[in-house]
Amino acid sequence: MGGFRLWIETPDSAKTKKQNLHPRHFNSESLDKWLKNCAGLKAIAPSQFDQQVLMLPTAQGQPLPCPELMIEMADDLLDQAEWSAWTVDCYRLADSPINVINELHYRLIFQGDEIRPGQDFLFWYYYTQSLKTLLQNDQFIPALRCRKESQKSPYEFHATWEFLSEEYETLLTEASERMPASAAPGFEAVSLLRHCAEVLLRKATGQAKLTQAYQQKMAGTFLPDACSPLTGKPWYTSIDSTLGEQWIKWRRRVVGGGAERPFQLALQLHEPTSEKPEQWQLVFLVWSRQDPSLQTPLADYWALKNQSRDYLLKAFGQDFEALLLADLGQAAGIYPALWSALDSAEPTGMTLELDQAFAFLTETAWILEGAGYRVIVPAWWTPQGRRRAKLRMRSAPSGKKASSAAKRKGLSMDELLAYRYDLTLGGETVAPDEWAQLVAAKTPLVQFRGQWVALDKERMAEMLDFWKQQGEVGDSLDMQALLQRTVAEDSDFEIDPDDALAAMLANLRDHSQLEAVEDPPGLHAQLREYQKRGVAWLAFLDSLDLCGCLADDMGLGKTIQVIARLLHEQSQQDRQPPTLLIAPTSVLGNWQKEIERFAPQLQTLIHHGANRCKDVKLFSEDLLDKDVIIVSYSLALRDAALLSAVRWHRIVLDEAQNIKNPEAKQTKAILKLDARFRLALTGTPVENRLLDLWSIFNFLNPGYLGKQAGFRKHFETPIQRDRDPVKSAHLKRLVEPFILRRVKTDPTIIKDLPDKVENKQYCNLSREQASLYEAVVRDVETQLEESEGIQRQGLMLSTLMKLKQICNHPSQFLQDNSPFEANRSHKLERLSDMLTEMLSEGESALVFTQFTEIGSQLERYLKTHLNCQTYYLHGGTSRAKREQMISQFQDADSPPAVFVLSLKAGGVGITLTRANHVFHFDRWWNPAVEDQATDRAFRIGQTRNVFVHKFLTLGTLEERIDQMIEEKKQVAGAIVGSDESWLTKLDNEAFRQLIALNRTAIFDD
Amino acid sequence: MQAIRTWWGQRFMQALERFTDPARLARGRSYANSNRIKSWQLKDGVMSAKIRGNTNPYYGVYKEPTYETAISLKIISNDDWELLIRQLGSRASFVSRLLLNEMPDNIETPFEALDLHLLPHNAKDFKTRCSCPDYENPCKHVAGLCYFLASQLDQDPFLLFELRGLSPHDLLNKLKQTPLGKALAQVRGQERVSVFTPVESYFTRPLALDQPLACDYKAFWECHKRLPEDRVNPATTHFIPALLIKKGGDFPDFWKQAMPFPAAMEGAYEAIRKKSKAW
Repeated sequence: MGGFRLWIETPDSAKTKKQNLHPRHFNSESLDKWLKNCAGLKAIAPSQFDQQVLMLPTAQGQPLPCPELMIEMADDLLDQAEWSAWTVDCYRLADSPINVINELHYRLIFQGDEIRPGQDFLFWYYYTQSLKTLLQNDQFIPALRCRKESQKSPYEFHATWEFLSEEYETLLTEASERMPASAAPGFEAVSLLRHCAEVLLRKATGQAKLTQAYQQKMAGTFLPDACSPLTGKPWYTSIDSTLGEQWIKWRRRVVGGGAERPFQLALQLHEPTSEKPEQWQLVFLVWSRQDPSLQTPLADYWALKNQSRDYLLKAFGQDFEALLLADLGQAAGIYPALWSALDSAEPTGMTLELDQAFAFLTETAWILEGAGYRVIVPAWWTPQGRRRAKLRMRSAPSGKKASSAAKRKGLSMDELLAYRYDLTLGGETVAPDEWAQLVAAKTPLVQFRGQWVALDKERMAEMLDFWKQQGEVGDSLDMQALLQRTVAEDSDFEIDPDDALAAMLANLRDHSQLEAVEDPPGLHAQLREYQKRGVAWLAFLDSLDLCGCLADDMGLGKTIQVIARLLHEQSQQDRQPPTLLIAPTSVLGNWQKEIERFAPQLQTLIHHGANRCKDVKLFSEDLLDKDVIIVSYSLALRDAALLSAVRWHRIVLDEAQNIKNPEAKQTKAILKLDARFRLALTGTPVENRLLDLWSIFNFLNPGYLGKQAGFRKHFETPIQRDRDPVKSAHLKRLVEPFILRRVKTDPTIIKDLPDKVENKQYCNLSREQASLYEAVVRDVETQLEESEGIQRQGLMLSTLMKLKQICNHPSQFLQDNSPFEANRSHKLERLSDMLTEMLSEGESALVFTQFTEIGSQLERYLKTHLNCQTYYLHGGTSRAKREQMISQFQDADSPPAVFVLSLKAGGVGITLTRANHVFHFDRWWNPAVEDQATDRAFRIGQTRNVFVHKFLTLGTLEERIDQMIEEKKQVAGAIVGSDESWLTKLDNEAFRQLIALNRTAIFDD
Repeated sequence: MQAIRTWWGQRFMQALERFTDPARLARGRSYANSNRIKSWQLKDGVMSAKIRGNTNPYYGVYKEPTYETAISLKIISNDDWELLIRQLGSRASFVSRLLLNEMPDNIETPFEALDLHLLPHNAKDFKTRCSCPDYENPCKHVAGLCYFLASQLDQDPFLLFELRGLSPHDLLNKLKQTPLGKALAQVRGQERVSVFTPVESYFTRPLALDQPLACDYKAFWECHKRLPEDRVNPATTHFIPALLIKKGGDFPDFWKQAMPFPAAMEGAYEAIRKKSKAW
């Protein structure tokens, strides 16, 4: 019987004399310490630590580090790899393995431990937790295993269990295709997974504690054995195999037709017609699973002649009648009233009386549905159509607080509003005495104003009491309490639809209801429809003094929506204090550039660099004529005193996940800043990491999600560790009003987007890049004077190349093997951030560069820092390797990946439509070549919008040449040549201007 | 001797009780288990068995005797069966129940229409004989065999058809010609072949693979296909316990308890689910 063992590989070697002891792993002491301190496990018996020998890929006498350690390894090292045995210290999971794995996973993923889960661990997490769901749903049956030692020995029957469901078989297939060899080295996947499932099932069932009475009742049956730990003793011994045959027969009946039926039996309840007011009709129908539009009442089926049935039998299968009868019998077994309907060769349905109908609706329907039948109930019984009893709230017309709020046209989170109440049923106001009559009705289903309605009389009585207490006086609630009171679907409260509050809440709940704003005056761009709605949403939240998070997918244009909102606001009101925009250093320049481009009348200031203003008084003078102050996260902390001396109109946090750690100094400094409005921007799905979500809400609407400890207890742990669906839905409804997240795949968004969306990403130079750049420029200026002809052209071209290399990364220019890290190049940092976001959405990308040397560096960097699948295609790639990479990348089942391509090798011929993002890390001066490269993703077979991101560094030749291209493009599309030679026709002065560095565009943290 | 649990098994015994001395019946019960009944067969509508008797000097029986005992019911003619099966095969409620291995509770309706019975009705329905010297009929061996037969009926109600002279083969053939009986015939036909083989291992044995010669670092640590996203548990608001078990009918052949199998299993599942913290 197999079991789980856990071991931890470390990056650092420990000295060891023992041969074949793995040099880099936690020994049992460290394991013990980690499991207790970090993973929160208690009681671990010493016997749970042991040593195992593993065959691991080994090269140069050392086991190769696993991929999660992100240690760079040369390809030839991987090619040399061979198997070698290594001994590692292990922790053996003994009791409750399924729960221990879940607990470890929770800690590893959500509690920010240094230890990362390996692929093998993640696989086992997925497999065991999937089995847990099957266990919870009774998707297993008792089974017999029979042993017979020899021809003459008796049959020994052992009791056990087996998983039996389609879900189990699907899981096995799915899992066996996804099991890395390291998860169980040396074993074939399917048989191993079956073994594992059976062992875990037996362990789980062995834990059951049967009550004594039950145990006695079941004495002699297999149950006491099957519900206690495995002993190895047979439950029953016999000289013949009759018992086994009986089990087989029974099992066959449980399995049923085996394969899933091509049809589904449906039961539909119709309310009485006016001719027969007492008779509810329950009608049998059949649905085709393949074609859900094909549904046939059984009455119609029977009425057909034999030949005409053939057409239906094609859809329902040739065994239709046998399976149908078995299904009907089964249904009648669950709901015995059905037997009377089956007293016919052609059962079609039956009639029910009112109390039977009610019982059917409240109970039987659910049970039948759970048993796999489709149940169709009248619309007024469905969650959408049901007419519910509610207490309707109206904001009270008088009262000081309310009127002052009304004057400001806004409600703040902490402002109180007074309410009055009405009793309503299905949206119609009901007078208290009529309500009391309904409560007193003898039947739970009544006809109310011509329509059937189900009454929850107990609740209605409570509501009446509440109304009696509150009706006269009314009570007061703040916005937060109001949202929380109305958040639950089955809330007792509703807002009067005629009240302004209702429209407001409806808009909060359903963003699509908002009326789009027109392009604000002064915006040098046209907003797309969804962007107009986004701006309207921002304006709407502002009008309520609420703060939100704009979380649109990357590429949908969060920046322009914010800019449009700033303009929109300016057009509506008098001059306000400036907005403080906090963003990662790598995008500061991009923000300024975009504002300049789209809203030149907005005055911006980048607060950055050694020469920045540090005096509060001078600073506030600087702000007088500014609209937007742009600052990096690190400076927001460093200059916290300066920034908190100002009352800002608004604080915008770009990449708001930067404040995900509530304990960080940076987060705390930002929380202290004073502003009327706050806005968070993020492209990563915040709702997946609840601590991040809480932290962002703590910035936006402090207190709304409660204190951190309470949030952890009520939401974070139950949702992330126990995957609690109720809590998850509740939290979703709570935060929904404050998050606007549109995804690229949303059809209404697709409609608004062109097939190809081009964006430029402006980055700044780091100080290091700037000094290298200047040195090259100085050098070439003197040389340029002295050279002519071919030599001059060569000098110009090599200068262009050097400068572009510097713009990419200093190490590319220096070629000195210095660290290829993001802190030396904002371009690299930005690329890495954007790719991270994109990968988290499960999307793939192409990254083009014209330089082979940086291509391989990029690939390695992305592989190790983003921990994703990467490929690199360049001129030297063999044809076979190239084909293999392409087909792996294109495989929809593989994880999202980044494909780095050299512009020359990857620019033509191949199809990479798995990617819907294309990055141009450096610019090629001929747009036609770039477009051709972009078309690798934007080809036949591409079903999604393609987002093209062109990177360029501000203040450098990249920005200037971009301008030239843009201008020329507008004059005549093809004026620029296919290579860079047209640039060498420039005279010296023009060339000097082209390459000169604008020092204001240099940023360093 | 286990209790007769199904209504049709009980009805069978009640018919016997109507014309049999209670004391003799009680004594007969002890003959109904397998160490008394040496062998039995049901052939051509006759249930016959070899039953181990007692020595009895009074009758001059000094060595343990073996008696030949047989029971048969009044045969229903082939023509009548033709009519009856046509009726049964055109009522969904009959077929659906029989598909679950249960006797429909209104099974007698079509029989009564022809002035016939499926279950024994009175003494005239029974024909019994026994080689024992006891002149009283039914003797305790006959009573024992009746009990035994009733317990067999519990497990397979179709035996009643055989006792009334319709062989399993004919039953299937006749069912096949009715609109709904086809389905039943098909399932019964399959159930007749059950091959049971012992296994070598309690758990499925994982197949060991040979260590591959080539060492592929990537293939060892990673899998090309990605794992599905971690999903929130589906909300199971209307969960039905032991649903799978309910498909197997109330009294599978191996289940000798009085409590229906699904009910017993609900208790077991609940006890298992309760300890989910220990999984």
